Amino acid sequence: MGQVLVVTSGKGGVGKTTTTANIGTGLAAAGHKVALLDTDIGLRNLDVVLGLENRIVFDIVDVVNGNCRLRQALIRDKRFEGLHLLPAAQTKDKTAVNPDQMLGLIAELKKEFDYIIIDCPAGIEQGFRNAIAGAEKAIVVTTPEVSAVRDADRIIGLLEASDLREPKLIINRIRPKMVRQGDMMSIEDILDILAVDLLGIIPEDDMIVITTNRGEAVVLDQNSRSGQAYRNIVRRILGEEVPIINLDEEEEGFFKKLRRIIGLK
Amino acid sequence: MIASANSYSISGFGHDLPAKLEDLIDENTILVQRTLRSGQSLHYNGNVVILGDVNPGAEVAATGSIIIMGSLRGVVHAGAGGDVNAIVMAFHLQPTQLRIADHITRPPDNGAIDPDYPEMAQIKGGVVTIESFQYAGERQGKVT
Amino acid sequence: MLEFITRLFGKEYKSKNIAKERLRLVLVHDRASISPQMLESLKLDLIKVISNYMEIDEENLDVSLDSSGNTVALVANIPVTGMKRTAG
Repeated sequence: MGQVLVVTSGKGGVGKTTTTANIGTGLAAAGHKVALLDTDIGLRNLDVVLGLENRIVFDIVDVVNGNCRLRQALIRDKRFEGLHLLPAAQTKDKTAVNPDQMLGLIAELKKEFDYIIIDCPAGIEQGFRNAIAGAEKAIVVTTPEVSAVRDADRIIGLLEASDLREPKLIINRIRPKMVRQGDMMSIEDILDILAVDLLGIIPEDDMIVITTNRGEAVVLDQNSRSGQAYRNIVRRILGEEVPIINLDEEEEGFFKKLRRIIGLK
Repeated sequence: MIASANSYSISGFGHDLPAKLEDLIDENTILVQRTLRSGQSLHYNGNVVILGDVNPGAEVAATGSIIIMGSLRGVVHAGAGGDVNAIVMAFHLQPTQLRIADHITRPPDNGAIDPDYPEMAQIKGGVVTIESFQYAGERQGKVT
Repeated sequence: MLEFITRLFGKEYKSKNIAKERLRLVLVHDRASISPQMLESLKLDLIKVISNYMEIDEENLDVSLDSSGNTVALVANIPVTGMKRTAG
Protein backbone atom coordinates (compact mmCIF):
# COMPACT_ATOMS: atom_id res chain seq x y z
CA MET A 1 0.00 0.00 0.00
CA GLY A 2 1.28 3.44 -0.90
CA GLN A 3 2.03 6.34 1.36
CA VAL A 4 0.02 9.53 0.95
CA LEU A 5 1.75 12.90 1.44
CA VAL A 6 0.20 16.33 1.11
CA VAL A 7 2.34 19.39 0.30
CA THR A 8 0.75 22.51 1.73
CA SER A 9 1.61 26.03 2.93
CA GLY A 10 -1.38 28.28 3.40
CA LYS A 11 0.28 31.16 1.59
CA GLY A 12 0.59 31.09 -2.17
CA GLY A 13 3.82 31.39 -4.07
CA VAL A 14 6.15 29.79 -1.53
CA GLY A 15 6.96 26.80 -3.74
CA LYS A 16 4.40 24.06 -3.08
CA THR A 17 4.10 23.04 -6.70
CA THR A 18 7.85 23.14 -7.34
CA THR A 19 8.38 21.07 -4.21
CA THR A 20 5.72 18.53 -5.22
CA ALA A 21 7.25 18.19 -8.68
CA ASN A 22 10.78 17.76 -7.35
CA ILE A 23 9.98 15.32 -4.58
CA GLY A 24 7.85 13.29 -6.99
CA THR A 25 10.54 13.27 -9.68
CA GLY A 26 13.21 12.42 -7.10
CA LEU A 27 11.23 9.48 -5.73
CA ALA A 28 10.53 8.24 -9.26
CA ALA A 29 14.23 8.59 -10.13
CA ALA A 30 14.93 6.35 -7.14
CA GLY A 31 12.75 3.71 -8.78
CA HIS A 32 9.46 4.19 -6.95
CA LYS A 33 5.99 4.35 -8.44
CA VAL A 34 4.70 7.84 -7.79
CA ALA A 35 1.37 9.55 -8.47
CA LEU A 36 1.21 13.34 -8.25
CA LEU A 37 -2.21 14.88 -7.66
CA ASP A 38 -2.89 18.50 -8.53
CA THR A 39 -5.85 19.58 -6.38
CA ASP A 40 -5.64 23.26 -7.28
CA ILE A 41 -8.81 23.11 -9.38
CA GLY A 42 -9.22 26.27 -11.44
CA LEU A 43 -5.55 27.23 -11.08
CA ARG A 44 -3.81 24.18 -12.45
CA ASN A 45 -0.02 24.45 -12.47
CA LEU A 46 1.71 21.18 -11.69
CA ASP A 47 1.30 20.11 -15.33
CA VAL A 48 3.31 23.07 -16.66
CA VAL A 49 5.98 22.71 -13.99
CA LEU A 50 6.44 19.09 -15.09
CA GLY A 51 6.20 20.01 -18.78
CA LEU A 52 3.18 17.74 -19.34
CA GLU A 53 0.57 20.38 -20.13
CA ASN A 54 0.01 19.30 -23.69
CA ARG A 55 -0.84 15.70 -22.80
CA ILE A 56 -3.90 16.42 -20.72
CA VAL A 57 -7.14 14.93 -21.98
CA PHE A 58 -9.01 14.14 -18.76
CA ASP A 59 -8.61 15.63 -15.29
CA ILE A 60 -9.42 14.96 -11.65
CA VAL A 61 -12.98 16.31 -12.03
CA ASP A 62 -13.60 13.95 -14.96
CA VAL A 63 -12.44 11.05 -12.79
CA VAL A 64 -14.61 11.82 -9.77
CA ASN A 65 -17.61 12.49 -12.02
CA GLY A 66 -17.12 9.18 -13.78
CA ASN A 67 -16.51 10.74 -17.22
CA CYS A 68 -13.46 8.55 -17.56
CA ARG A 69 -11.54 5.87 -15.72
CA LEU A 70 -8.69 6.85 -13.41
CA ARG A 71 -6.21 5.10 -15.67
CA GLN A 72 -7.24 7.25 -18.63
CA ALA A 73 -6.66 10.49 -16.76
CA LEU A 74 -3.23 9.60 -15.37
CA ILE A 75 -0.46 11.11 -17.49
CA ARG A 76 2.86 9.32 -17.63
CA ASP A 77 5.98 11.46 -17.26
CA LYS A 78 8.28 11.91 -20.26
CA ARG A 79 11.33 10.67 -18.37
CA PHE A 80 10.26 8.27 -15.69
CA GLU A 81 8.11 5.24 -16.24
CA GLY A 82 6.99 5.28 -12.61
CA LEU A 83 5.93 8.94 -12.43
CA HIS A 84 2.30 9.84 -13.14
CA LEU A 85 0.27 13.03 -12.88
CA LEU A 86 -3.43 13.40 -12.25
CA PRO A 87 -4.04 17.00 -13.39
CA ALA A 88 -6.51 19.44 -11.88
CA ALA A 89 -9.33 20.85 -13.98
CA GLN A 90 -8.73 24.38 -15.19
CA THR A 91 -12.26 25.40 -16.09
CA LYS A 92 -14.02 24.41 -12.85
CA ASP A 93 -13.67 25.51 -9.24
CA LYS A 94 -12.79 23.93 -5.91
CA THR A 95 -16.36 22.80 -5.22
CA ALA A 96 -16.24 20.44 -8.22
CA VAL A 97 -14.67 17.84 -5.90
CA ASN A 98 -15.49 17.00 -2.28
CA PRO A 99 -13.43 15.33 0.47
CA ASP A 100 -15.34 12.04 0.21
CA GLN A 101 -14.58 11.77 -3.49
CA MET A 102 -10.91 12.48 -2.72
CA LEU A 103 -10.88 9.63 -0.21
CA GLY A 104 -12.23 7.24 -2.83
CA LEU A 105 -9.74 8.43 -5.41
CA ILE A 106 -6.77 8.05 -3.07
CA ALA A 107 -7.87 4.60 -1.94
CA GLU A 108 -7.77 3.54 -5.58
CA LEU A 109 -4.34 5.13 -6.20
CA LYS A 110 -2.87 3.55 -3.07
CA LYS A 111 -3.33 0.09 -4.55
CA GLU A 112 -1.02 0.87 -7.42
CA PHE A 113 1.53 3.47 -6.30
CA ASP A 114 4.27 3.57 -3.65
CA TYR A 115 3.86 7.30 -3.09
CA ILE A 116 0.91 9.58 -3.69
CA ILE A 117 1.86 13.24 -3.39
CA ILE A 118 -0.90 15.82 -3.27
CA ASP A 119 -0.22 19.41 -4.33
CA CYS A 120 -2.53 21.53 -2.18
CA PRO A 121 -3.91 24.89 -3.31
CA ALA A 122 -3.16 28.05 -1.36
CA GLY A 123 -5.74 29.02 1.23
CA ILE A 124 -7.65 27.15 3.91
CA GLU A 125 -11.00 26.67 2.19
CA GLN A 126 -12.51 23.69 0.44
CA GLY A 127 -9.48 23.16 -1.80
CA PHE A 128 -7.35 22.69 1.30
CA ARG A 129 -9.90 20.36 2.90
CA ASN A 130 -10.02 18.27 -0.29
CA ALA A 131 -6.24 18.07 -0.45
CA ILE A 132 -5.76 16.88 3.12
CA ALA A 133 -8.77 14.54 3.16
CA GLY A 134 -6.89 11.38 2.25
CA ALA A 135 -3.39 12.40 3.37
CA GLU A 136 -1.42 10.42 5.93
CA LYS A 137 1.53 12.77 6.30
CA ALA A 138 1.91 16.48 5.67
CA ILE A 139 4.79 18.55 4.36
CA VAL A 140 4.51 22.26 5.09
CA VAL A 141 6.47 24.63 2.83
CA THR A 142 7.38 28.10 4.00
CA THR A 143 9.85 30.87 3.20
CA PRO A 144 11.73 33.08 5.67
CA GLU A 145 9.12 35.83 5.56
CA VAL A 146 6.77 36.99 8.29
CA SER A 147 3.67 36.38 6.17
CA ALA A 148 4.67 32.89 5.03
CA VAL A 149 5.69 31.73 8.51
CA ARG A 150 2.49 33.04 10.01
CA ASP A 151 0.43 31.15 7.43
CA ALA A 152 2.52 28.03 8.00
CA ASP A 153 1.72 28.26 11.70
CA ARG A 154 -1.99 28.50 10.93
CA ILE A 155 -1.78 25.51 8.57
CA ILE A 156 0.11 23.42 11.13
CA GLY A 157 -2.69 24.15 13.59
CA LEU A 158 -5.35 23.13 11.05
CA LEU A 159 -3.44 19.96 10.12
CA GLU A 160 -3.18 18.94 13.76
CA ALA A 161 -6.90 19.58 14.20
CA SER A 162 -7.48 17.18 11.28
CA ASP A 163 -5.30 14.51 12.89
CA LEU A 164 -2.35 15.09 10.57
CA ARG A 165 0.09 15.31 13.41
CA GLU A 166 3.80 16.04 13.26
CA PRO A 167 3.94 17.73 9.89
CA LYS A 168 7.41 18.15 8.42
CA LEU A 169 8.73 21.55 7.41
CA ILE A 170 10.58 22.64 4.27
CA ILE A 171 12.06 26.14 4.35
CA ASN A 172 12.36 27.39 0.81
CA ARG A 173 14.21 30.34 -0.76
CA ILE A 174 16.81 30.84 1.92
CA ARG A 175 19.42 33.46 1.05
CA PRO A 176 22.48 32.59 3.13
CA LYS A 177 24.09 35.99 2.68
CA MET A 178 21.04 37.81 4.02
CA VAL A 179 20.80 35.38 6.92
CA ARG A 180 24.44 36.07 7.80
CA GLN A 181 23.81 39.80 7.68
CA GLY A 182 20.86 39.37 10.01
CA ASP A 183 18.40 40.57 7.40
CA MET A 184 16.59 37.26 6.98
CA MET A 185 15.22 34.93 9.60
CA SER A 186 17.46 31.90 9.97
CA ILE A 187 16.42 28.26 10.02
CA GLU A 188 16.75 28.29 13.81
CA ASP A 189 14.55 31.38 14.10
CA ILE A 190 11.78 29.73 12.09
CA LEU A 191 12.03 26.37 13.85
CA ASP A 192 12.00 28.19 17.16
CA ILE A 193 8.66 29.74 16.26
CA LEU A 194 6.96 26.84 14.50
CA ALA A 195 8.32 24.01 16.70
CA VAL A 196 8.06 21.25 14.06
CA ASP A 197 10.57 18.82 12.53
CA LEU A 198 12.65 20.09 9.63
CA LEU A 199 12.54 18.01 6.45
CA GLY A 200 14.91 20.23 4.53
CA ILE A 201 15.96 23.66 3.37
CA ILE A 202 16.19 24.93 -0.19
CA PRO A 203 18.49 27.84 -0.99
CA GLU A 204 17.24 30.53 -3.37
CA ASP A 205 18.55 29.43 -6.74
CA ASP A 206 18.24 30.73 -10.30
CA MET A 207 18.33 27.13 -11.54
CA ILE A 208 14.79 26.64 -10.21
CA VAL A 209 13.52 29.32 -12.59
CA ILE A 210 15.57 27.94 -15.46
CA THR A 211 14.48 24.32 -15.02
CA THR A 212 10.85 25.33 -14.50
CA ASN A 213 10.99 27.33 -17.74
CA ARG A 214 11.95 24.12 -19.48
CA GLY A 215 9.36 22.00 -17.70
CA GLU A 216 12.06 20.00 -15.96
CA ALA A 217 12.76 19.27 -12.31
CA VAL A 218 15.83 20.79 -10.66
CA VAL A 219 16.24 17.64 -8.54
CA LEU A 220 17.82 16.01 -11.61
CA ASP A 221 20.38 18.80 -11.98
CA GLN A 222 23.57 17.46 -10.45
CA ASN A 223 25.37 20.80 -10.28
CA SER A 224 22.88 23.09 -8.57
CA ARG A 225 22.57 23.65 -4.83
CA SER A 226 18.78 23.52 -4.92
CA GLY A 227 18.93 20.22 -6.81
CA GLN A 228 21.16 18.80 -4.10
CA ALA A 229 18.79 20.13 -1.44
CA TYR A 230 15.80 18.37 -3.06
CA ARG A 231 17.78 15.14 -3.45
CA ASN A 232 18.52 15.29 0.27
CA ILE A 233 14.83 15.75 1.04
CA VAL A 234 13.95 12.75 -1.11
CA ARG A 235 16.51 10.62 0.74
CA ARG A 236 15.07 11.72 4.08
CA ILE A 237 11.57 10.76 2.93
CA LEU A 238 13.01 7.35 2.04
CA GLY A 239 14.23 7.03 5.62
CA GLU A 240 17.91 7.93 5.28
CA GLU A 241 19.66 10.18 7.76
CA VAL A 242 21.04 13.07 5.75
CA PRO A 243 22.47 16.12 7.50
CA ILE A 244 21.03 19.54 6.62
CA ILE A 245 23.37 21.37 4.23
CA ASN A 246 25.45 24.05 5.84
CA LEU A 247 24.70 27.06 3.70
CA ASP A 248 27.64 29.04 5.02
CA GLU A 249 30.09 26.47 3.75
CA GLU A 250 28.40 26.25 0.40
CA GLU A 251 28.56 29.90 -0.38
CA GLU A 252 31.91 31.08 0.83
CA GLY A 253 32.94 34.54 -0.23
CA PHE A 254 35.87 35.53 -2.35
CA PHE A 255 38.09 36.69 0.50
CA LYS A 256 37.32 33.68 2.64
CA LYS A 257 38.23 31.47 -0.29
CA LEU A 258 41.41 33.48 -0.92
CA ARG A 259 42.42 33.23 2.72
CA ARG A 260 41.84 29.52 2.63
CA ILE A 261 43.91 29.19 -0.54
CA ILE A 262 46.88 31.14 0.82
CA GLY A 263 46.66 29.18 4.03
CA LEU A 264 45.48 31.74 6.53
CA LYS A 265 42.60 29.59 7.64
CA MET B 1 -27.72 37.90 -37.08
CA ILE B 2 -24.14 37.14 -36.18
CA ALA B 3 -24.34 33.87 -38.04
CA SER B 4 -25.60 35.43 -41.24
CA ALA B 5 -22.99 38.20 -41.17
CA ASN B 6 -20.36 35.57 -40.78
CA SER B 7 -21.55 33.31 -43.53
CA TYR B 8 -21.61 36.37 -45.79
CA SER B 9 -17.96 37.06 -45.14
CA ILE B 10 -17.04 33.49 -45.97
CA SER B 11 -19.18 33.26 -49.07
CA GLY B 12 -17.72 36.61 -50.06
CA PHE B 13 -14.57 34.75 -51.05
CA GLY B 14 -16.45 33.63 -54.11
CA HIS B 15 -16.59 30.42 -56.10
CA ASP B 16 -12.85 29.73 -55.96
CA LEU B 17 -13.00 29.00 -52.26
CA PRO B 18 -11.20 25.73 -51.42
CA ALA B 19 -13.68 22.87 -51.36
CA LYS B 20 -12.81 22.19 -47.75
CA LEU B 21 -14.02 25.60 -46.63
CA GLU B 22 -17.01 25.62 -48.94
CA ASP B 23 -18.43 22.66 -47.02
CA LEU B 24 -18.20 24.59 -43.79
CA ILE B 25 -20.64 27.30 -44.70
CA ASP B 26 -23.33 26.80 -42.16
CA GLU B 27 -25.88 29.03 -40.56
CA ASN B 28 -25.03 27.64 -37.16
CA THR B 29 -21.93 29.68 -36.43
CA ILE B 30 -21.11 31.78 -33.41
CA LEU B 31 -18.83 34.80 -33.54
CA VAL B 32 -16.87 35.50 -30.38
CA GLN B 33 -15.24 38.92 -30.20
CA ARG B 34 -12.91 38.48 -27.29
CA THR B 35 -9.79 36.69 -26.10
CA LEU B 36 -10.34 33.51 -24.10
CA ARG B 37 -8.08 33.40 -21.06
CA SER B 38 -6.87 30.58 -18.86
CA GLY B 39 -9.77 28.83 -17.16
CA GLN B 40 -12.37 30.04 -19.65
CA SER B 41 -14.05 27.54 -21.88
CA LEU B 42 -16.42 27.76 -24.79
CA HIS B 43 -18.58 24.87 -25.92
CA TYR B 44 -20.79 25.31 -28.93
CA ASN B 45 -23.03 23.20 -31.07
CA GLY B 46 -21.84 24.40 -34.47
CA ASN B 47 -18.91 26.42 -35.82
CA VAL B 48 -16.97 28.92 -33.77
CA VAL B 49 -15.16 32.00 -35.06
CA ILE B 50 -13.07 33.87 -32.55
CA LEU B 51 -11.85 37.42 -33.11
CA GLY B 52 -9.14 37.26 -30.49
CA ASP B 53 -6.72 34.79 -28.97
CA VAL B 54 -7.17 31.48 -27.17
CA ASN B 55 -4.62 31.58 -24.35
CA PRO B 56 -2.94 28.61 -22.62
CA GLY B 57 -5.39 27.03 -20.19
CA ALA B 58 -8.43 28.11 -22.21
CA GLU B 59 -10.54 25.57 -24.05
CA VAL B 60 -12.79 25.73 -27.10
CA ALA B 61 -14.92 22.77 -28.12
CA ALA B 62 -17.26 22.86 -31.10
CA THR B 63 -19.19 20.19 -32.94
CA GLY B 64 -18.18 22.01 -36.14
CA SER B 65 -15.02 23.87 -37.12
CA ILE B 66 -13.05 26.44 -35.19
CA ILE B 67 -11.51 29.51 -36.77
CA ILE B 68 -9.36 31.77 -34.65
CA MET B 69 -8.49 35.21 -35.94
CA GLY B 70 -5.59 35.47 -33.56
CA SER B 71 -3.23 33.17 -31.70
CA LEU B 72 -4.26 29.71 -30.62
CA ARG B 73 -2.22 28.62 -27.60
CA GLY B 74 -4.83 26.70 -25.59
CA VAL B 75 -6.77 23.51 -26.19
CA VAL B 76 -9.25 23.21 -29.08
CA HIS B 77 -11.56 20.41 -30.03
CA ALA B 78 -13.24 20.68 -33.42
CA GLY B 79 -15.79 18.12 -34.53
CA ALA B 80 -16.46 17.35 -30.90
CA GLY B 81 -19.49 15.27 -31.88
CA GLY B 82 -17.35 13.06 -34.10
CA ASP B 83 -17.30 15.10 -37.33
CA VAL B 84 -14.00 14.16 -38.99
CA ASN B 85 -14.45 16.87 -41.64
CA ALA B 86 -14.17 19.67 -39.10
CA ILE B 87 -11.10 21.90 -39.31
CA VAL B 88 -9.18 24.22 -37.03
CA MET B 89 -7.68 27.38 -38.42
CA ALA B 90 -5.72 30.10 -36.68
CA PHE B 91 -3.55 33.06 -37.67
CA HIS B 92 -1.00 31.67 -35.26
CA LEU B 93 -1.45 27.99 -34.59
CA GLN B 94 0.49 27.01 -31.45
CA PRO B 95 -2.02 24.92 -29.49
CA THR B 96 -1.31 23.16 -26.21
CA GLN B 97 -3.35 20.37 -27.67
CA LEU B 98 -5.44 20.06 -30.79
CA ARG B 99 -8.28 17.62 -31.17
CA ILE B 100 -10.44 16.88 -34.19
CA ALA B 101 -13.26 14.36 -33.68
CA ASP B 102 -11.56 11.57 -31.70
CA HIS B 103 -8.02 12.39 -32.81
CA ILE B 104 -5.78 14.04 -30.21
CA THR B 105 -2.50 15.71 -31.17
CA ARG B 106 0.02 17.84 -29.40
CA PRO B 107 3.09 19.70 -30.62
CA PRO B 108 6.35 17.73 -30.50
CA ASP B 109 8.25 18.00 -27.21
CA ASN B 110 11.35 19.61 -28.67
CA GLY B 111 9.97 21.05 -31.88
CA ALA B 112 10.28 24.79 -31.84
CA ILE B 113 8.39 25.40 -35.08
CA ASP B 114 6.71 28.75 -34.82
CA PRO B 115 5.59 29.97 -38.24
CA ASP B 116 4.12 33.45 -38.56
CA TYR B 117 1.52 32.62 -41.19
CA PRO B 118 -2.01 31.21 -40.79
CA GLU B 119 -2.32 27.46 -40.60
CA MET B 120 -5.13 24.96 -40.92
CA ALA B 121 -5.44 21.59 -39.24
CA GLN B 122 -7.62 18.84 -40.67
CA ILE B 123 -7.84 15.10 -40.80
CA LYS B 124 -6.26 13.69 -43.96
CA GLY B 125 -5.92 9.96 -44.44
CA GLY B 126 -6.79 9.25 -40.86
CA VAL B 127 -4.21 11.60 -39.30
CA VAL B 128 -4.32 15.23 -38.28
CA THR B 129 -2.24 17.29 -40.67
CA ILE B 130 -1.31 20.93 -40.42
CA GLU B 131 -0.75 23.03 -43.52
CA SER B 132 -0.18 26.67 -44.11
CA PHE B 133 -3.35 28.44 -45.12
CA GLN B 134 -2.28 30.01 -48.39
CA TYR B 135 -5.65 31.20 -49.51
CA ALA B 136 -5.97 34.17 -47.21
CA GLY B 137 -2.51 35.38 -48.16
CA GLU B 138 -3.27 35.36 -51.90
CA ARG B 139 -6.55 37.07 -51.30
CA GLN B 140 -4.90 39.78 -49.29
CA GLY B 141 -2.39 40.30 -52.04
CA LYS B 142 -5.14 40.87 -54.58
CA VAL B 143 -6.95 43.43 -52.47
CA THR B 144 -4.04 45.69 -51.61
CA MET C 1 21.99 57.70 10.40
CA LEU C 2 21.22 56.31 13.82
CA GLU C 3 19.91 53.23 12.11
CA PHE C 4 23.18 52.91 10.24
CA ILE C 5 25.26 53.19 13.40
CA THR C 6 23.17 50.74 15.34
CA ARG C 7 23.40 48.41 12.40
CA LEU C 8 27.17 48.71 12.52
CA PHE C 9 27.60 48.19 16.22
CA GLY C 10 24.51 46.60 17.61
CA LYS C 11 22.90 43.29 16.93
CA GLU C 12 19.44 44.13 18.16
CA TYR C 13 18.47 46.32 15.27
CA LYS C 14 18.77 43.62 12.63
CA SER C 15 15.64 43.42 10.50
CA LYS C 16 15.31 39.69 11.14
CA ASN C 17 14.87 40.41 14.83
CA ILE C 18 12.10 42.83 14.02
CA ALA C 19 10.51 40.18 11.82
CA LYS C 20 10.76 37.56 14.54
CA GLU C 21 9.32 39.81 17.20
CA ARG C 22 6.40 40.85 15.02
CA LEU C 23 5.74 37.23 14.17
CA ARG C 24 5.69 36.24 17.82
CA LEU C 25 3.07 38.87 18.52
CA VAL C 26 0.71 37.96 15.70
CA LEU C 27 1.08 34.27 16.46
CA VAL C 28 0.10 34.81 20.08
CA HIS C 29 -3.21 36.15 18.83
CA ASP C 30 -3.54 33.62 16.02
CA ARG C 31 -2.91 30.64 18.25
CA ALA C 32 -5.13 31.84 21.06
CA SER C 33 -7.69 32.43 18.30
CA ILE C 34 -9.11 35.35 20.21
CA SER C 35 -10.55 38.10 18.07
CA PRO C 36 -10.53 41.73 19.20
CA GLN C 37 -14.32 41.46 19.65
CA MET C 38 -13.91 38.46 21.95
CA LEU C 39 -11.29 40.30 23.94
CA GLU C 40 -13.68 43.23 24.24
CA SER C 41 -16.55 41.09 25.54
CA LEU C 42 -14.14 39.36 27.94
CA LYS C 43 -13.22 42.81 29.21
CA LEU C 44 -16.89 43.70 29.79
CA ASP C 45 -17.52 40.42 31.64
CA LEU C 46 -14.46 41.01 33.82
CA ILE C 47 -15.75 44.47 34.73
CA LYS C 48 -19.13 42.99 35.62
CA VAL C 49 -17.65 40.35 37.93
CA ILE C 50 -15.06 42.55 39.60
CA SER C 51 -17.55 45.38 40.11
CA ASN C 52 -19.40 43.07 42.47
CA TYR C 53 -16.45 43.24 44.84
CA MET C 54 -14.54 46.41 44.07
CA GLU C 55 -14.96 49.84 42.60
CA ILE C 56 -12.76 50.01 39.53
CA ASP C 57 -11.68 52.65 37.07
CA GLU C 58 -13.31 51.36 33.90
CA GLU C 59 -11.76 54.07 31.74
CA ASN C 60 -8.19 53.02 32.35
CA LEU C 61 -8.73 49.30 32.27
CA ASP C 62 -6.52 47.31 29.93
CA VAL C 63 -6.80 43.66 28.94
CA SER C 64 -4.37 42.05 26.49
CA LEU C 65 -2.60 38.85 25.55
CA ASP C 66 1.11 38.60 26.08
CA SER C 67 3.72 35.96 25.46
CA SER C 68 6.96 35.06 27.08
CA GLY C 69 8.81 32.19 25.50
CA ASN C 70 6.26 29.56 24.59
CA THR C 71 3.56 30.51 27.06
CA VAL C 72 0.70 32.89 26.52
CA ALA C 73 -0.63 35.02 29.36
CA LEU C 74 -3.74 37.10 29.75
CA VAL C 75 -2.60 40.39 31.24
CA ALA C 76 -5.22 42.62 32.85
CA ASN C 77 -4.39 45.96 34.35
CA ILE C 78 -7.41 47.06 36.44
CA PRO C 79 -7.04 50.16 38.58
CA VAL C 80 -9.03 49.78 41.82
CA THR C 81 -10.55 52.97 43.23
CA GLY C 82 -12.21 51.51 46.32
CA MET C 83 -13.49 48.38 48.05
CA LYS C 84 -17.07 47.41 48.55
CA ARG C 85 -18.12 46.48 52.05
CA THR C 86 -20.42 43.61 51.20
CA ALA C 87 -20.18 41.21 48.39
CA GLY C 88 -22.99 41.05 45.81
